[in-house]
Amino acid sequence: METEVLIIGGGPAGLTAAFEMASRGLEVTIIDESFSLGGQLCQQTQLIRALPSAYQPMAGFKLANKLTEQLKDFSVRYLLGHRVIGLYADGSIGVTDEKDVFPVKAKKILVATGAAENAISFPKWTLPGVITIGAAQTLVNRDFVMPGKEALIVGSSDFALDVAYQLMEVGVNIKGIIEKSAVVNARDKEKVNQVEKKGIPFYFNSYVKEAKGNGEVEAIDIQLQNGILTETVDLVCIDGSRSPILDSFYQLGCSFGYQEVLGGWIPQYNKHFQTDQKNVFLAGNAAGISNHAALLLTGMISGISICEELKVLNRDAFKELTLSYWRELENLENKDAWQARIRHIEKFSAPLLKDQFIS
Amino acid sequence: MHIEDHPVLGKQLQAPVKFYFNGQEYKAYKQQTVAAALIANGIKKFGLSRKLVQSRGLFCSRGRCCSCYMTVNGEDHVRTCMTRIDEGMIVSPNLEDPVIRSDRDGD
Repeated sequence: METEVLIIGGGPAGLTAAFEMASRGLEVTIIDESFSLGGQLCQQTQLIRALPSAYQPMAGFKLANKLTEQLKDFSVRYLLGHRVIGLYADGSIGVTDEKDVFPVKAKKILVATGAAENAISFPKWTLPGVITIGAAQTLVNRDFVMPGKEALIVGSSDFALDVAYQLMEVGVNIKGIIEKSAVVNARDKEKVNQVEKKGIPFYFNSYVKEAKGNGEVEAIDIQLQNGILTETVDLVCIDGSRSPILDSFYQLGCSFGYQEVLGGWIPQYNKHFQTDQKNVFLAGNAAGISNHAALLLTGMISGISICEELKVLNRDAFKELTLSYWRELENLENKDAWQARIRHIEKFSAPLLKDQFIS
Repeated sequence: MHIEDHPVLGKQLQAPVKFYFNGQEYKAYKQQTVAAALIANGIKKFGLSRKLVQSRGLFCSRGRCCSCYMTVNGEDHVRTCMTRIDEGMIVSPNLEDPVIRSDRDGD
């Protein structure tokens, strides 16, 4: 199979990049291992306020529909339920449909593989019933399944509070939110109020001492500042922040740099979201963990960069668009993530380590 | 438990399917994953870990952690969070290492 551009990952970043490219006449192929487009947006029922000017504030699943819908008039090939598993000697990408493996030859590759949730370990954290906050949201909003009846949330980010509220709405009793620091981690005060109004207790300066249960989680010992509180639960949702998914970058031979704020190790890239492998671009959380606006905008920036390289966008229009997308990114991305991104890009020309391998 | 009437998304569960776990019949709906279908029926333990023989179940629901491996329709090591349930599916727990070389595979 041949294509002009292969996008690995059909989430928000991959879809906005596809729109930039397909609307300018490029032949785009999107590969995603899931059976639907939109990535993790599909189960997000919360309102997403900060979005690029081309998009109104809307719920995540509606944004997924919009991003998919706006591609329907263009030549985009979808390989859903497919995975990238390696690289052929001639540079073709090895793709599997879980039965056969076949090569896909592309002029440019855009990696938008997103992020994975980190675990928070404590004794017996592997017991069934202990799941990530994202898994809980997927069960409730995509699969329409109650993940449990009595739950504890470990961590208090905006995402954790969104999901805590959504769990409550379907009838899960949230027994508390455990936070290791002294204050709520979430930036959005409205979300904090929403959860507090429902009477959910926050346990600050606290952590999970141990999970208990035979075959599945039955109780949690919470280490408070002044003693231990045992809660009977059948569900524990872990909010352990996220790390970029890097497998494809290893295989493509990209070099990496470290930015704590952006999720740790991420590929080196320049302001066009081009890696040191000249035909490999990246976007979204794979280029550093950030907010929804950044996922879309980084997709748009890398999309127009490929357009320029493949001569479907003239130099002046490209420069102007790049500038305006970067300006929006500066306005909409959280300050600390923005600064880390700028630092990361500055290091592109002088990477600290070359040809490294991390895993 | 299935969420028959979702507070935001409404009544989404329309096409029921039957599947089997450890020989017993259960009910699920077409768009659900195998992992979700099991959890809806109160089954959280999907298998055992190799070295320490501890219980394992769904963890990330993204196809990353591989904690939800099970045997589905005779195929071992299927990520049940990435596989949709289907009519008559036979699901069994992942209790030991699968046989990776066999006559069946022509090795």
